[in-house]
Amino acid sequence: MHTLNFQDMMAALSRFWANQGCVIALPYDLEVGAGTMCPETFLRVLGPDPWKVAYPQPSRRPADGRYGENPNRLLKHTQMQVILKPPPADIQDLYLRSLAELGIRLRDHDIRFEEDNWEAPTLGAWGTGWQVMLDGLEITQFTYFQQCGGLDLDPVSAEITYGLERIAAFLQDVPSVYDIRWSDQHTYGEIRLQEELELSVYDFEAASPEVCRTLLDTYEGECLRLLGSYRDFSARRFPLRKAYELCLKCSHLFNILDARGAISVTERVALIARIRRMAVGVARIYVSRMQPAEGLEPVGEVQPA
Amino acid sequence: MRDDSGKVESREAAVLASIPELLEAPGLGAAHFAGPGESDATLPVLLEIGCEEIPARFLVDAERQLGERLEKALVEARLVRQEAGAVAVAATEPGQRQRRAAKPPDKSRSRVKTFSTPRRLIAHVGSLLVKQPDQTEEVTGPPIKVAFDAEGKPTRAAESFASKNGVEVKDLLHVETAKGLYLAAKKMTIGRAAVEVLADLLPKVIAGMTFPKSMVWEETGVRFVRPIRWIVALLGEGDQSKIIPFEVAGVKSGNITRSHRLARKPQVAVTGFKDYTNKLRRGHVEIDPERRRRRVRQQIQKLLASDTPELVSSLEPEASPLAPYADVSAPIPENRAPVSNLVPDADLEGWVVASTEWPQPILGSFEQRFLELPREILITVMRDHQKYFALEPAGSDGESGAGPESRDGGLMPSFVTMLNVPGDPQGIIRRGHERVLTARLEDAGFFWHADQKIPLPDRVALLERVTYHDKLGSYADKIRRTRSIAEFICAELESENQLNPGQKGHALRAVELCKCDLTTQMVQEFTEIQGIVGGLYAKAQGEPDEVWQAIYDHYKPVNLDDRCPRSVVGAVVSLADKLDAVIGGFSVGLEPTGSSDPFGLRRAGNGIVKIATEALPGLDLYNLASRAHQEIEPILSSRVAGGWKQIESFLSERLAFYLEAVAGLKYDTIRAVLSPEVSHSWNVPSRVLERAKALEAARKSADFQALAAAAKRTRNILTKSAKPEDFGARMPVSAELLRSQEERELYSASEAARAELAVLESGSDCKAAFHRLAKLRPAVDQFFDKVMVMDPDLALRANRLRLLSDLDTLAFRRFADLSELEAAVAPDS
Repeated sequence: MHTLNFQDMMAALSRFWANQGCVIALPYDLEVGAGTMCPETFLRVLGPDPWKVAYPQPSRRPADGRYGENPNRLLKHTQMQVILKPPPADIQDLYLRSLAELGIRLRDHDIRFEEDNWEAPTLGAWGTGWQVMLDGLEITQFTYFQQCGGLDLDPVSAEITYGLERIAAFLQDVPSVYDIRWSDQHTYGEIRLQEELELSVYDFEAASPEVCRTLLDTYEGECLRLLGSYRDFSARRFPLRKAYELCLKCSHLFNILDARGAISVTERVALIARIRRMAVGVARIYVSRMQPAEGLEPVGEVQPA
Repeated sequence: MRDDSGKVESREAAVLASIPELLEAPGLGAAHFAGPGESDATLPVLLEIGCEEIPARFLVDAERQLGERLEKALVEARLVRQEAGAVAVAATEPGQRQRRAAKPPDKSRSRVKTFSTPRRLIAHVGSLLVKQPDQTEEVTGPPIKVAFDAEGKPTRAAESFASKNGVEVKDLLHVETAKGLYLAAKKMTIGRAAVEVLADLLPKVIAGMTFPKSMVWEETGVRFVRPIRWIVALLGEGDQSKIIPFEVAGVKSGNITRSHRLARKPQVAVTGFKDYTNKLRRGHVEIDPERRRRRVRQQIQKLLASDTPELVSSLEPEASPLAPYADVSAPIPENRAPVSNLVPDADLEGWVVASTEWPQPILGSFEQRFLELPREILITVMRDHQKYFALEPAGSDGESGAGPESRDGGLMPSFVTMLNVPGDPQGIIRRGHERVLTARLEDAGFFWHADQKIPLPDRVALLERVTYHDKLGSYADKIRRTRSIAEFICAELESENQLNPGQKGHALRAVELCKCDLTTQMVQEFTEIQGIVGGLYAKAQGEPDEVWQAIYDHYKPVNLDDRCPRSVVGAVVSLADKLDAVIGGFSVGLEPTGSSDPFGLRRAGNGIVKIATEALPGLDLYNLASRAHQEIEPILSSRVAGGWKQIESFLSERLAFYLEAVAGLKYDTIRAVLSPEVSHSWNVPSRVLERAKALEAARKSADFQALAAAAKRTRNILTKSAKPEDFGARMPVSAELLRSQEERELYSASEAARAELAVLESGSDCKAAFHRLAKLRPAVDQFFDKVMVMDPDLALRANRLRLLSDLDTLAFRRFADLSELEAAVAPDS
């Protein structure tokens, strides 16, 4: 069988999940560490409404930057994110069928679901699940969300996160992610290598920790100001997503500072608690606006991490 | 049984194909059950809880828990006969459960047999009563005088009691009780059919299971370790079998199980345990973990002995049913000695057994150049990250080091990994694994070289930024505290000539550097070998042997089965590190409570006791720990007053645990030596161990048991019958007031022993000390036989009490508190 190139893979997975009733969303237009942080996941898993979505999401992790010199590590990698709320009973089979869509002949391989529980303290989120191993290679994170924004989820959502570069390098049998064929004309390296270098240089060297700190404080101030003014708006007009974007900005700045080693012992714990506080505040407003009858205090006491 | 005709390729088609079979499955709705006259009839039960992949680390306990819960429920429901080799389900203490967790459940003792794979928990009961026996019980009602009025007519109380029990008042009985005559009713409960009882009981057994980490996934909100996707519940076998109908977590019970994910026929209907086991084997699932374990061992042996090790011949999934397991044990070619051996690893083997339904090993290899990396790092990459077995050249299995990863000697550039599919005929899976391992080893090699560009001493300053604990500060803070504790220990050992100044220097150097590896990329990637990595870097950077070995060993012993550090210097560093953890932890309220021990302090405490007992014998731990506490408590930012009392009893408890778990001593022996009645009871753990062992041996003699009985009696008299101020406990015994022969003899026996016991106390021969104590028996026995202590003459009485009080201090709570010893059933003579 013809091996899919990188963009074909995204198309194949999008088509597969669209056929399962998923909305195919666009990648989010802000820096995020993972597809989980996009509102299409973080907000939509809250509350009672069923939801199915799939989208590719470039995900930035400054600490993983290697100036484009490591064949397996990327500062910005591509996730294919799928949310099924509530999860169908045959979800594992669906997932395995999606692998077949990528050209993985299941009978030729050893696919294992190994325990891996996911937790994102800055989002007040955690879940149980597995890392899916294909012949010893971790290709997917599979999670049943139990909590998000500090709130118990009912119904729970299943999250499937494919690591596209890894799968592509495996399928195309290339030694480096930069050798992946993105399209039939271009390699991954042609499209992304220079960007990896530039992002690494900025995050590790050029970024000014002082400016990052100032920005973080400013974004946080703006976010908390918005959350605090919730009652000044009619519920529907409250710019909730903007408050959430400000929280995401802070999360990314925290990651840059962390990669720089600019965060001290006690500060780290405190910063995580500050970001979590914003995320929890956003989640509570989202839920209380959706279910006013539930009596959840929207901007109530926010528990520190 | 239907044959497998009409083979279909796609999974969907296979599902459809199995549906007619399901509908025609024999026995559905046509079971013949024992009639009312045959209440002794029994039937087997099969329960399978089908799940998405259960984490390997929970599987053994989950299987045991299912067995215990089901057994208990069946006994309570009176569906199993009490006499049939009944074994009460023993409650286990949390600590014990943990210690047993690695072992497979003992299946031979229970009537409920259990099995498990990553996708299923299985229980099989060989014979269950088809119907509960009818039961008659007597229910006591109101007293007769309340139940009938003066004219003998039943009152409301009698009537309502009768109607509550469904009988007429005239049918009620009069029964005699301790409180008088009462009304009673005979209540007959007709036993229910097993199938009905099970339909109520099984969902409760399943939903009542608990796990260290559980989840919800559907609307009923049942918590389980992973989603339940199917349930097989059958009563009876073959044609007679019948589905036990119930629903848990939205899943209805049935008779359809699922094969291996890749099996051609993903779902099959089954009629009972035998049919189930056979069909699953054909579907590439072995339900019995012990058989999987045997298979793993045999297949690995075969693999390593075969001529072309990299080619694993195995049946393709498409081929005819796999050979039964008996064939797996086909003779291993003995003429060829394998060139490589597996580095033994029981934990990994357990993981492999718990994470596969159909284990099949394959051999892979990696490039020779990676062998420049230390053995410890290679094994960690393979074992912890990829779950591979490492291989070493045949004949290199001499036990020399502490664990498989730290034994001397090189490895082979190859590995064994366990597949969960029947084979890899084209080598596709092997190439995948080799590719992943190569990338991992490239990373490790990169870290190995990159980390050493900043030598360990230059990393000390970086520890200021690594958190140890919120309230306890950074690792740099921890090192400062640990250093002052280490200085105490060194001074102590130097004064006993157990340490020379050079070693002291090495110990303090090792303390300084021991946490520096936390700042390396290697440890950030492979956290499980922290300490070891530091030791390896220190070695590569030319630190003296005693220094790098002490760094390497400073987490040891990680539990009571682990070894102590290999040198005195290492023992000092490990002890100081752990004392800081315990003292610091208690000072900020992290002390262990119940089953929770967030900071692992029990483990640290066990390590402290083990080192003090085995690696640094003679060390006065009490004195050392209390000085360390005084020294470092003021340094800590948040203090809890009275912490020392807690730490003291914690360490004494850990020592008691050590004496029981490691030395295997009886609990009352331990209580006797650690009793607060004995001065300095736990100060020097190595001596406590000797004393406890000597006592355990000595207490078997009849003389000693008599002495222990006398000690109890003495203590009773002294504490319950008399007050110290009444008899002047501090005054000497007056020889003139000793009237009877027996008390004079006891007095002279005590005096004769006094000097000898003082000599024995300062020496180390505990056996001799207890032997000497035992010689007091005749005089003590005579005294208690003939002399009345509580004499009406108060002067005589006081003198006798003083004699006993003196004896108590001199003998009964000198080396151990003999009054703590419980009498043996049949003493040796």
